[in-house]
Amino acid sequence: MSNDPYSARTRELFAAPAHAGCPDGALSATIEDQGVRIRLAAICAGDEITALGFEAWGCPHVIAAAEAFCASYEHRPVVELLDFSASDLMQSLSVPVEKAGRILVIEDAVRSLGSIVREALDSKD
Amino acid sequence: MIYLDYAASTPVDAHVAEAMTALMTVAGNYANPSSTHAAGRRSVEYIAHAAGQLADLLNTDADRLIWTSGATESDNLAILGGAYFRQKRGRHLITMRTEHKAVTDPMNVLERQGFEVTWLDPESNGVLDIAKLEVAMRDDTQLVSIMHVNNETGVVQDVRKIGAICRERNVLLHVDAAQSVGKLPIDLGSWPVDLMSMTAHKVYGPKGIGALYIADRPGVHVDPLLFGGGQQRRLRPGTLPAQQIVAFGVAADVARLRMQDDLAHLTVMRDRFWSGISDLPGISINGDFESGFPGILNVSIEGIEGESLLLALEPICVATGSACNSKSQEPSYVLRALGLSDELAQSAIRFSFGRPTRSEDIDFAIERYRSAIEMLRRIAPERVA
Repeated sequence: MSNDPYSARTRELFAAPAHAGCPDGALSATIEDQGVRIRLAAICAGDEITALGFEAWGCPHVIAAAEAFCASYEHRPVVELLDFSASDLMQSLSVPVEKAGRILVIEDAVRSLGSIVREALDSKD
Repeated sequence: MIYLDYAASTPVDAHVAEAMTALMTVAGNYANPSSTHAAGRRSVEYIAHAAGQLADLLNTDADRLIWTSGATESDNLAILGGAYFRQKRGRHLITMRTEHKAVTDPMNVLERQGFEVTWLDPESNGVLDIAKLEVAMRDDTQLVSIMHVNNETGVVQDVRKIGAICRERNVLLHVDAAQSVGKLPIDLGSWPVDLMSMTAHKVYGPKGIGALYIADRPGVHVDPLLFGGGQQRRLRPGTLPAQQIVAFGVAADVARLRMQDDLAHLTVMRDRFWSGISDLPGISINGDFESGFPGILNVSIEGIEGESLLLALEPICVATGSACNSKSQEPSYVLRALGLSDELAQSAIRFSFGRPTRSEDIDFAIERYRSAIEMLRRIAPERVA
């Protein structure tokens, strides 16, 4: 039985958060809740997300989850942000159930970012 | 791995390990000390010698010591046993909010059984204002429990002054000395302390062995919590683990001989560490640097999440809160009692130093702490307005 509260994947993402920081000129959404502060930022070209970044104040699972989201959603359609679900992140990082609320803050931030980006795109049309 | 968690546990000293293992094998003396044959009697002699070694460290008589499984059991026996023994005289107890769970939990149990407990708050530096204790004393107060060195902050309480107040009123004073026995001078020959809890594994002995000192004075006694044998005057029955007791005795002897050198070494290590990080913006010491035990340095830093800091510090082994609370996500109740905000309490890291700590370890820890703070601050967003 392991006493390690973090999965290998969580440790890996936490140790090297390649997407930490918000790209210049990006649209962003910030949410503070459940002892977590998260800012997600996106640069888009048309309907595609070209770059993602994050800033986070939270436990290692939050930082790893933010990094995992950014790494997997670049070059995907903006519309996917709007119905993003954090359940895959929770599973892939083996997030303990007592921290589920913190990861759901990321879900809220992603959806909020999606709305902001969508609104910006619509205003250009 | 850099181990800076000596307040949680220490490695077994080589002399201690040698004495302990020598007793356990067929070539040693493994007999049950309750047996009346020659081998059993030899075990009793070994135990008596160890009790003498521990008594020498504390300047008391060996027959005032009851062997237990560790400080938690000693605390339970002192508080529950002491309260039960004195309950016909009164059912009021006094303790501090910054005590170890091994003290607060038995106090909670007593509250549920109808005893009254007064919980004293420390000053912001963790030290008890003695006047608060005097005010809290009542005619029916029977027991005060105040720890010597706080396990999270290293704050040292003046147990002699506290004991003097208790003696004036014929109130028992129990002192949890798990963090101070073998590390700071203790003189039970002159200190007005009635009950003192201690453990071997914080002082380079093995886990699983501790002791409770019970003063030889009228009205000082505890009711037993365990039953099933006549050992130790029926106060704490059970087969005595001779090899662990011998180990505790040797650890006590080593500690007595090394204490001044150990204290000087811990002071150098702590001061080196603090001077390497004290310029970081928003950093503060929890406790009292000047009068605190030099083996423990508890620091908080603004704008940092403690759990992430702990992971970013790896491979340094340190603690958030106390080891006993380390699975909890809650900020330390000890630091909250000092008046820290949840966020500042949550950022706290306890660095604790020991005999094996080297200057290189400290320098590595300084570098790692600074880089972890820099990284976590860099990726943290501004607060939402």
